[in-house]
Order: sequence, then structure tokens, then C-alpha cells
Amino acid sequence: MFFYVLRRLLISIPVVLIASFLLFWFVRETFDPTARLRTSRDPTVIQRETERLGLDKPIPVQYGKWLKEFVKGDWGTSNRTREPVTDMVRRALWNTVQLIFWGIVVSAFLAVAVGVFSAVRQYTIPDYVLTGLSYIAIAMPPFWFGLLAINLAAFKIPEWFDLDERPVDFVGLHSARKSGFNKDYLRHLVLPVMTLSVQIIGSWSRFQRAAMLDVLSADYIRTARAKGVPRGKVIFKHGVRNALIPLITVMAVDIGLLFGGLLVTEQIFSIAGMGKMFVDALLQGDIAVLEAWMIVVAIFVIVFNLLADLIYSVLDPRIRLS
Amino acid sequence: MVRSRRLLSLLALLLGFTLIAASCGSDDDSGSEGENGTDEETEVPEGGDLVLGAEQEPDCVDWISSCAGASWGYWTINVNTMPRAYDVVADGDGWAYTPSILLDGEPELETDPQQVVTYRISEDAVWSDGEPITSSDFKYTWEQITTGEDIYDPTGYVNIESVDDSDPAVAVVTFSEVYAGWKGLFGGGYGIYPSHILEGEDRNAAMANGYDFSGGPWILEAWNKGSEIVLVPNENYWGEQPKLDSVTFQIITDTSAEFSAFSSGSVEAIYPQPQLDVVDAINEGIDGNSSFSAETGNIEALWMNNDAFPFDSLAVRQAFAYSLDRDAIVEALFGGLGITEAWNTLNPPIQEAFTDQEAFADYTLDLEQVDTLMTGDGWEKNGDGIWEKDGETATIEFITTSGNARRERTQEIVIEQAGEAGFEVTTNNQEAGTFFGQLLPDGDYQLGLYAQVLTTLDPSTCNLFCSQNIPSEDNDFSGQNWQRVNVPELDPLLTTLDNSLDEAERATAGKDADGVMAENLISLPLDPLPNILLWSDNIVGPVADNPILGPFSNMNEWGLA
Amino acid sequence: MTAVAAGSGTGAADLPAPPEAPPRSQWQLFRRRFLHHKLAVFGLIVIVILYVLVFGASFWVPNDPLEQDVLLGTQPPSGEHWFGTDQLGRDYFARVIYAGQISLKIGLAVAIISTVVGALAGAIAGFFGGLVDQILMRVTDLFLIVPAIAILAIALKKFGGTDIVIILVLAGLGWMSIARVVRGQVLSVKEKEFVEAARAIGASNGRIIFRHILPNCIGPIVVNATLAIAIAIVTESTLSFLGFGVQKPDTSWGNMLYDAKGNVRFDEHLLYFPGLFILITVLCVNFVGDGLRDAFDPQSRR
Repeated sequence: MFFYVLRRLLISIPVVLIASFLLFWFVRETFDPTARLRTSRDPTVIQRETERLGLDKPIPVQYGKWLKEFVKGDWGTSNRTREPVTDMVRRALWNTVQLIFWGIVVSAFLAVAVGVFSAVRQYTIPDYVLTGLSYIAIAMPPFWFGLLAINLAAFKIPEWFDLDERPVDFVGLHSARKSGFNKDYLRHLVLPVMTLSVQIIGSWSRFQRAAMLDVLSADYIRTARAKGVPRGKVIFKHGVRNALIPLITVMAVDIGLLFGGLLVTEQIFSIAGMGKMFVDALLQGDIAVLEAWMIVVAIFVIVFNLLADLIYSVLDPRIRLS
Repeated sequence: MVRSRRLLSLLALLLGFTLIAASCGSDDDSGSEGENGTDEETEVPEGGDLVLGAEQEPDCVDWISSCAGASWGYWTINVNTMPRAYDVVADGDGWAYTPSILLDGEPELETDPQQVVTYRISEDAVWSDGEPITSSDFKYTWEQITTGEDIYDPTGYVNIESVDDSDPAVAVVTFSEVYAGWKGLFGGGYGIYPSHILEGEDRNAAMANGYDFSGGPWILEAWNKGSEIVLVPNENYWGEQPKLDSVTFQIITDTSAEFSAFSSGSVEAIYPQPQLDVVDAINEGIDGNSSFSAETGNIEALWMNNDAFPFDSLAVRQAFAYSLDRDAIVEALFGGLGITEAWNTLNPPIQEAFTDQEAFADYTLDLEQVDTLMTGDGWEKNGDGIWEKDGETATIEFITTSGNARRERTQEIVIEQAGEAGFEVTTNNQEAGTFFGQLLPDGDYQLGLYAQVLTTLDPSTCNLFCSQNIPSEDNDFSGQNWQRVNVPELDPLLTTLDNSLDEAERATAGKDADGVMAENLISLPLDPLPNILLWSDNIVGPVADNPILGPFSNMNEWGLA
Repeated sequence: MTAVAAGSGTGAADLPAPPEAPPRSQWQLFRRRFLHHKLAVFGLIVIVILYVLVFGASFWVPNDPLEQDVLLGTQPPSGEHWFGTDQLGRDYFARVIYAGQISLKIGLAVAIISTVVGALAGAIAGFFGGLVDQILMRVTDLFLIVPAIAILAIALKKFGGTDIVIILVLAGLGWMSIARVVRGQVLSVKEKEFVEAARAIGASNGRIIFRHILPNCIGPIVVNATLAIAIAIVTESTLSFLGFGVQKPDTSWGNMLYDAKGNVRFDEHLLYFPGLFILITVLCVNFVGDGLRDAFDPQSRR
């Protein structure tokens, strides 16, 4: 198992390196990092910045220099804010980790609940309704869902029901000067987490339903039923557990999708996380931030995939990692 | 909610009436306090935490450095923490400089043989650590701006020969070269720096990500980048103590989201860009108060590159101007605010005194003029109805900052209108960094849409339109005449406007310069880009916009109902 | 694009191989199974109608999408303007329909290009194996690790937002998921007897790939091609919403939503209609995809 993990990690390293080089090259080709200094009346600024970044050298040399420092833990400074990138990433990552965490928890819970329910009640009206909703969830552009959610939850619903207070907030993760896990936090969390996970809930619940149907028609379930084990117990003891296994792999693959979804979610809900950091950095050609972003995200995705493999092997003893 | 809101606003209205009555009653005996100093102090409640929206966040708060050019940093943090020599206050219809609370009366100005300004510093003036503000702080400020590295803009300070700090309470500033805009010095976007804290330190490192000293009513308590800026009262402020316990600026960079946050009550006031959905919503009626002012330091124009085909021809520039119905454009953009006519000078409204307000008024939609001018210049319409000359079509690339919905809408109108007149207008919008840092300085554009935003009351028009300020090797390519205006008769007028200490002479020069600019149509003014301020009924106190200091410079007088 | 693919098409990639090459008589079987899938038939009809209406817009849409009435401004839906007007007084219905030309064009073009390229690349990699296969797998790995939407945003930032560029960039990412699926299919098909037989009678590699292998992968290829349309439309709209997509004056549905993102409280019709069109299109395309999957592979479960 240990060697399996090690090998997977070793294979990932060149892939991440190539990706980071391509990104570096792309951004350097596209943006002139000294452009924003042109408005300064001090002509030596540009020259100093050029020297500092080694812009007069070929791109592979610049990349090598950046990589050396990056590995040593010096992730550079943002050329927009002059702030150390490590500080920016740490701050953004914390917000993002919260969103991702709640996104996964909510998606997994809802998807399994809907999937199992639909499968058990196959071809009933609730099944059709839930299936229809998951089709819509899959087809809905998440950013549009987010805007509609604000439109409804923050404005329409308070208007229709004559509420004194809107039920949810949609700016940031906390009200000003507040922090911690409390009602305020939950009010802020609802809409962004739904926006982030709407597509995923749709597709996971469809997947879970299919997996559950497979399991329910399997021989061992029929055997268990034939032995007189109560239906509810069969469904939860044997059915759900076995149906979860395929979902785990799908979940791991979709972690990348969650990170992609952060771009729009954080934009719409003004959350200073990794997605917003990426968009801001891309608009400014802020290379140090973009590189750090990509590598952090890549590590996340790789680790989640490994984790999924491990969980998979635990849940299904027939699978050996090698 | 609707019902309860109404009740609330009725209450607020009643409260408002009482306030007005109170202030009217007491006005008689206090008299000359002016707009900022209405006698509502007794009515303004103590305490409370105010949350406001901020549309942008400064990249850094080392105000002298080139990373700190953003208006929002100035409006939110600078004006509230950095002492300044002059305030800007309403003066009749316009705005004027007045000595700030830092000074003991008006500084003395000598002009002969050299320009010398003597600032007397109030003996009450102290930094937040209790140390007095002294002439050494003036000297330190000047030294940092003129000798430091990576300076945003040393204009004016480079004219200073010396700052005498032998008397801590008196700063004597001697100029080697006359500088007419001296009232904007030791203030402006910079403020005055505490030498006793920063002397010998790396100023940029000490300040860039936040600083805890203050010479204003507030102290920067926290700056959580990307989410909020928190100000708390400076206990040692020698002026009026803030009544609020804290002010938090929540950073909401998307104008639309910011507006939604305000209309849902998440933030109590916003100062948004005049985007179309905001204007529409104000028009349709939102809860709370709004003020919008066209009396701004902004001038938004269709900036033409006088050195690039086809706008290198005066006839084409004029014909293009005659192809547009500027009044209709402005009404479409700002009609909801009651602004229905195009702006007709390249100076912003706050410089009215030096301006011929009707200079460009003759350029209205006139397709016959377009035809006359274009055919006179040797152009002919081709099969597609586009003007063509020597095989080249009158195709104009029209650039603005991407992501600004209002400007994109403006472009769409211009494309349509100019298209009718035979100009093919295309777009290629760019990020602000590329646009202002690359395309404009390099002259790599034909037509641009953006606003010049003035941060002082004094004109510095020569920077923008004098021929010696066309970016070139002579000025290390740092000249700001991005339009490449090269009109010989304009240069002396603008030099006088910028450098004369005689107000009357300046006014005449400014007005004449406007005439010359219009005649040569160096660019086409569009609108003064109104400032919009929206605030809820919860804010009590004198809330008003200030075109230079921004709307948050008097928050020490605000309270929260 | 793989990342988004997982969202709208989970399961498509996990298709088991069709048991045998469908003989000619199976076409009827396939058709009957597809027509049996009511939602898929419904989806197909809607999609066809949508494409016809949108691309034939100039024949039937009464108003000009570009004609401005700047002083009229935003108006709610009415008899004269079915979807109301936008801030420049342009007829919103006409704008939505014409914007569909860009969105639907991008969807179709991306699906075609990425399917052709992906199927070929997958077939070659699966058939020859070795280095070619290794390169393909590593390249696709690269894009599994970094979110597709980010790569697309960077690429569009670099190459600019014309529709051709967007199509090429989306296809440039989209072919990989199809290539992976086809590669998997080829690996299982190439050991089959009929391929051995073809080889034995001296058929060239090209002939084996085009005549024997690809036709046997037609199921997953067609299903994924269908889903690629939906993915491309959603991805384009997301990029446009972030400001990296189609640039004005060209307008897609995503573009219109970008303009309408402030309309969460007032003039919401500007927000509702373009999104509704994306939703309907993607929904119907997904229905068709499901129908095709069931028709090609009756064992797969809905």
C-alpha cells in the first residue's frame, strides 16, 4: 500500500512540473509584468523589475529560477499587491477549504439520499420528480443557478412571504467583523454551497440511483431477502454500502470539478477564496499567484484521488492496491 | 417586509424632520459652520458598528509607492488616517481648498523672489501615539517622495528646494520652481508621514500591508485582504471624536453584487460606479437615500490618438464627432440620474473656473457635415457604405477596459451611430493594466474610452495635452499625453494654466485652451461620470459626497440609528 | 472539459463495450429502442426545432437584434417585445434567438471536432499502444489534475475571444475525454476474432482501424459526441460569464447573462430568458444522449 501511494505520487510530479512550465510560458508570453509600472514617473522602476524577474533571460531560465525558489518555500510575491504569495494562498485556501468541505458533505449526503430513495421507489411519482430535478440540476449552468438563488432567496421570497428579514445572506462567508461557526455563518453558507454543488448533486444522485439499482438486483441481496432479512435492513446493510463503492471513484474525479466551480461561485458571492484569487491573478497576469494556485489545486486533486483509492480498497476488500 | 419597511421609513422621515428642525433652530447662533458642521452632534447616537461596501481594495497602503494609486484606498483609509494640510470643502456651487485642522490658519505664501509657503502646525495636532505632528514630518514626507524608490508621482514635490524644520511647529517650504497647485501638496493622495516612526525604517515594508499609526480620526485596525477593512476611532485625535465604535468596509468588487448587497441591507452605504443597472434601479426606486452628483473631478471622453490613422486627420476626427449623437448617449447612460446632455469640455466639472463649458457644444449629430468633411479630405464611400481613401477604410479600433458593463454599452451605441455615418468601429477591450500601462502610453490604439479622474482642484492639463509630454525618449516615455496632441498654440496656454500664480490669468488661459482643443478636436468629451452615493436610513449625520476626498472623510460625524 | 464532462455525463465514460459489432439488422433494433425512449425523442425534436428556429432567425424573427432605441431603455416583456427590451432598448427576444446562433454553433462545432480528433487519437493510441499511448495518457492526466475551466480561461486570455478560437480551445480540451473512452474500447475490441481475421487476410492497419475497430466503438462515440454539445454550451457560457468568452459585439447566451448579472432584483427578465434557453438546450441534449446510450447498449440501466 505504501509503495502504491509513493509510486502514484512520483508519477504525478512530472505531470505537475510540465503543467506548471506550460502555465509559466503561457503567462509570460501573454502579459508584460512591467506594464502596470509604466504609469510611474520613475523610469528606473521598470528596469529594476525587469532585473528582479530576470525578464531579459529566456523563459526556461526564468522558470528554473522560479522553480528553485518555489521548492525552497519562497513562492514569490504577487506583482499586483507585492504581498508574499504564501500569505495570499493561506488566506484564500482557508475560505476555499470551507466551501469545498461543505460542498462535498452536502453533495454526498443529498446525492446518496436521493439516489437510494429513487432506486428503492423506482418508477413511483417521487422517483420521477427527483429524477427530473436531477436532470435539471445537471443541465443548469451553476452561475445562473447562483444568480437565480440570490434573486429568489434574497429578494423574491421575502417579498412574497412578507418576511421582515431575508432568510440568507450572499456576501462573503460572515457578516462584517463576525467569525466562527454560528447562525450567521450558516446563513452565508447556504447559497454558495448550493451553487457549488448543484451540478454535482444532480450527477451523483443519478449515479447513486443506478448503482443502487444494480446492487438491489444482485444475487446476494435476493439471497438475503430470501433468508428473511427485513427489507429495510437489506437495503441499508447490504445495498447502500455496496452502492457507495462506485460513487467514491466518481467523487474523487469530480473534486477537480469543484475547484472549477469555485471560480464562478466565489465571484458571485464575493468570497475571497482560491477561485477569486485565480480570476484576479489571471486578469492581471500575476504569474507567481497563478503558479501557486495551480500547484496547490493539483496537489489537492492528486491527494483526493489517492484518498479515494484507499477508501475504495477499504470498502471493497476484493480490491488490492499494487 | 414591505409593510414594516414603510413604517420604518415613515419613522425615519419623522426623525429626519425633527433633525432638520433642530438644526434650523440652532443654525442661527452657530452661523458659519458650513455644510460639514451642522449642529446635529447632540442627535447623532453614540456607538454602533457601521458596515459599508467598498468596490475596490487598494493593492497596498504605502501611499507614496506606485502600488497605491487606487482611489478606494485613498477614500477609505488614507483620508481617515493620514493628516493633510488642506481639506476640500463645498464653496457655493463649487469646491475650494481650506486649511485643515492640522494647521493654525491659512499658510503664508510668498512669491518673490521665490515661492515660499510657511505652514504653522496646530499645537493640538498629535499622532495616535501622542507624539506631536511636526515640521520634521513635512520634511520627511518631501524627502520620501522625491528621493525614495518606486514613487507613484512626485509632481510638485520635485519643485521644492528645501523644507526648513528648525521650528517643530513651523514648516517653511521653499520652491525652486513655481508650483501653482501647491495646496494639493502635503495631502493629495499622500498625506503627511510620521518621521519619528518611519525615519530610518523601510517605509514601504512598514506600511504596504497596513500600518497602525494615525493622524486622522480613525485607525486602521485590520485589513483582511479580499474581505474587509476595519477602522476604529483614534483616541488621540485632536478633532471631533468618532461616535461609531467601528467602521467596516466590506470588499465587494463586483458592482452588481455590491448593489445587491446594499439593496438587501447587508451594507449600509455604497459608492458604486454609475453602472446601468444601478442607475435603472435608482430610477425604479430603492429603499434608502441616494445622492448623485455630476460635480465631479472626472471627465469621460472618447480619447483619440491624434497620431494614428485615421484620426491623424483633423477632418476625420471632426467628421467622427459629427456622426455621434452625444446627448442621446449620455441620456441613455445617465438619464435616470437626470443627466441628459453631453459634457462639452475636456476639463472635469470641479475645474469650472478654468473652463469654457460650451467649447465642444457645436459637435452634434450632423450627417451632412460628416459627408462634407470626409469628401473634402479625399474619402469616398465604398460598396459597404464605409469611407475609404487610397484603399484604406475608415476602420477604427475602439478600446476600453474590459469588464465594465457601462463602457461596453457605450461602445455598442457608438458602433451603431458611427456605423450609420460610414465608420466601421470594432472593439478589442483590454484589462486595465494592459490598457493604461501599455496601449495608451505606447500609442497603440485609435480610439479609447476611459475617464480622467482628478485628485486635486488645480488643473495639471499640460501634463495631458502639451506636446513635450507626448511619451518619448526625452521624458523617458513617462509623458502622459497619450493622445499625442501636438498643437503649437495650445502649449503656452496650458503652461500658463498650470504654472501661473495669478488666478485671473489662469482662468483666461484655461478658457482659451478649451477653445483651441475644441477647434482641433483633440478628443471628444462625453460625460462628467457622475458619482453616486447610496446610504440607508440607518446612517445619521452629514452624509455627502466630496469629489476629492470621497464620501467617507467625515465619518467621525456619523452615527448609527 | 473532462471535469465538466463528469458533471453532465457521469457514466457515459463507464460504458461497457457493445457485445458484438451491430450487424445491419441491428439498426432497426437500435432505432426501435431509441424511439421507445420518450424523453430522448422529445429532446431530439426540441433540439432540431431549436436549431432550425435559431439559424433561420432572419426569416421569422420580427425585430432586428441590433436596432437600438437608447432612450426607451429596459422594458418588461410585452406584446410588442415578447421578452422585453435590454438597456439599449433592443428587442430581447430577437437578441436571445440570435445569440443562440453563437451558442449552438459553438456547441455543434466543438462536438464534431473533438469527436473526430478524439476518436482518431483514441483509436491510434489503443491500436498501436506503446509510446503513442503513453503520451496520450500522460497528456490527459495533465488535464485531469488542473480544472478544465481554468485552463480554458488562460487559453482564451492568450488567444482572444473570437468564436473560432473558442471552438478550437474547447475542442482542444474536449477531444481528450472521447479519446480515453475510444482507447478503452479499442483495447477490448482489437483482441477480438474478427480483427485477427482481418489481419490474417493482410488488411492494412488503416483499414482495420476504419473498417473494423471504429465501427465497433460507434456507441460510445456517438453518446459522448452528443454530450459534448451540452458541455461545450455550458462551458462557453461559464467562460463568457467570467468575462473570458465571446467578446462583443458577438453575443452568446453566456454573454447576455454576464450583462444581466446585476439584474437580481430589478428587470429580472434580462436574467431569466438566456439562462432558460441554455437550460432547455442542455436538458434536451442530455435526454438524447441517454436515449442513444440505452439504444446502443440495452444492458445499461437508466
